[in-house]
Amino acid sequence: MTDEKDPQGTPKIIVTEGPAVSNDRGSLNAWPIVFVASVLILIAMCLWRPDPYWKIMQFVPDGLLITFGITIISICIAVPLGLITGLGKLARNPVINLIASMYVEVIRGIPLLMQLFYIYYALGSLLKVSPMVAAVTALSVCYGAYMGEVFRAGILAVPKGQTEAARSLGFDRFQTMFTVVLPQALRTIVPPVGNECIALLKDTSLVSIIAVADLLRRGREYASQTFEYFETYTVIALVYLIITLLLSKGLSHVEGRLSRYDRRR
Amino acid sequence: MSKHFLFALLAVLFSVLPARAETIVVAADATWPPFEMLDENKQVAGYGPDYIRAVAREAGMEADVRNVAWDGIFSALGANQCDVIASSVTVTPERQLTMAFTTPYFENYQALVVLKDSPVEKLADLKDKTVGGQIGTTGILYTQRLNDTQGLGAKVKTYDEVGLAMEDMKNGRIDAVMCDDRVAKFYAERKEGYAEHMRVAFITDEVEYFAFALRKQDTELLDKLNAGIAAVKDKGIEAQLQAKWLDD
Repeated sequence: MTDEKDPQGTPKIIVTEGPAVSNDRGSLNAWPIVFVASVLILIAMCLWRPDPYWKIMQFVPDGLLITFGITIISICIAVPLGLITGLGKLARNPVINLIASMYVEVIRGIPLLMQLFYIYYALGSLLKVSPMVAAVTALSVCYGAYMGEVFRAGILAVPKGQTEAARSLGFDRFQTMFTVVLPQALRTIVPPVGNECIALLKDTSLVSIIAVADLLRRGREYASQTFEYFETYTVIALVYLIITLLLSKGLSHVEGRLSRYDRRR
Repeated sequence: MSKHFLFALLAVLFSVLPARAETIVVAADATWPPFEMLDENKQVAGYGPDYIRAVAREAGMEADVRNVAWDGIFSALGANQCDVIASSVTVTPERQLTMAFTTPYFENYQALVVLKDSPVEKLADLKDKTVGGQIGTTGILYTQRLNDTQGLGAKVKTYDEVGLAMEDMKNGRIDAVMCDDRVAKFYAERKEGYAEHMRVAFITDEVEYFAFALRKQDTELLDKLNAGIAAVKDKGIEAQLQAKWLDD
């Protein structure tokens, strides 16, 4: 805030908008350092010792595709599910409110591994679910509950004046929510939702328990044949790190685009 | 004077008491009935654990058998978390590169379990079918070897435990399970909930041998266990255990 003075010499008060603490990260950013370092380390290992590292890299690509596929599809289902759940918990209708609240409490109370097991084996004896469908269902349902809470918190963070102003201008409840409140709530919602998406990517490693051949399972299969546990898990960890970094870069892009309303001066 | 006398008496007594037996830690994956499984008291029981307990006794030691998941059992040996693996480990050239084996204690064949109404009768029928098995077992390695060398064309699916593979086959998700012949017979003939739906399609004639696995540098322990195995075989203990656990 500069000491500007108006023509009469009294100090001008300049009002800016945005978060209480500046989000300016300056020039030293962790992302490029970690990304470049991990890619270089992986390439260096493959060149310096092709056996076993390059062999491991050749063994895992189909697992990588499955991990990525499950992550993307689950995110696409979990985010809308989270929005519906968050709105449901804020609904005036007691039935909808109860259903949403119970969904969140129950799903948050059971470990994801149990949910995977249950949907695949217990339900699987009644109706035929393929492993991929079971995996995506369990992940979406579990993370939908967590994201529901994030959406609810973001919506509640929008000041009441916005609702009052919108209603007084003649917007009905739906229009207020979707055109006035939600766009502003997104600024609070996107960072934690991004966090959940990254956690989801790493939790896809649990699907190896229902014999889905994801990245981790491919690594385990390779290690169980060759007994090179340390080398295999190092490569798998680096690959997980690189794809997580790519996902987090995409998410910070989304964050940047959504907060362009704040960067005005 | 009496205090010194008491002290001397205790010292003499302790020196003539037998030395406490050395304990070796044995790892077994208790999901491989009837070789390794958990009994009603959640203790590790079965042919393998009982055999290693008898061998250790003959060698003047005590075996503490612990349940360790198969997927990490070899790295547990390397990381000194156990001294011996007694988990129906087949002797293979790849495994012999990284660990030492005792003399074999059992002869084993791979067998295929299918549902009762399955059309699979021989190996060639497995073309384009899905075969399941426990990750890292010789059943899986055998099927993959057939795929690579003879173009068998079977899809291989690995599970953490053979029980999960059997469950998936019961639910119709896979066509067959490849595992050791006694385990196959256990599920197809004795296990309730499974036996009425399954049968053993065939037993291969690839013979393999189970032995106890140790770290390569434990040569003294290896000699003791080999002596113990010879004693167990000579004294007829092996025949007793086979009658108890493998009653055909």
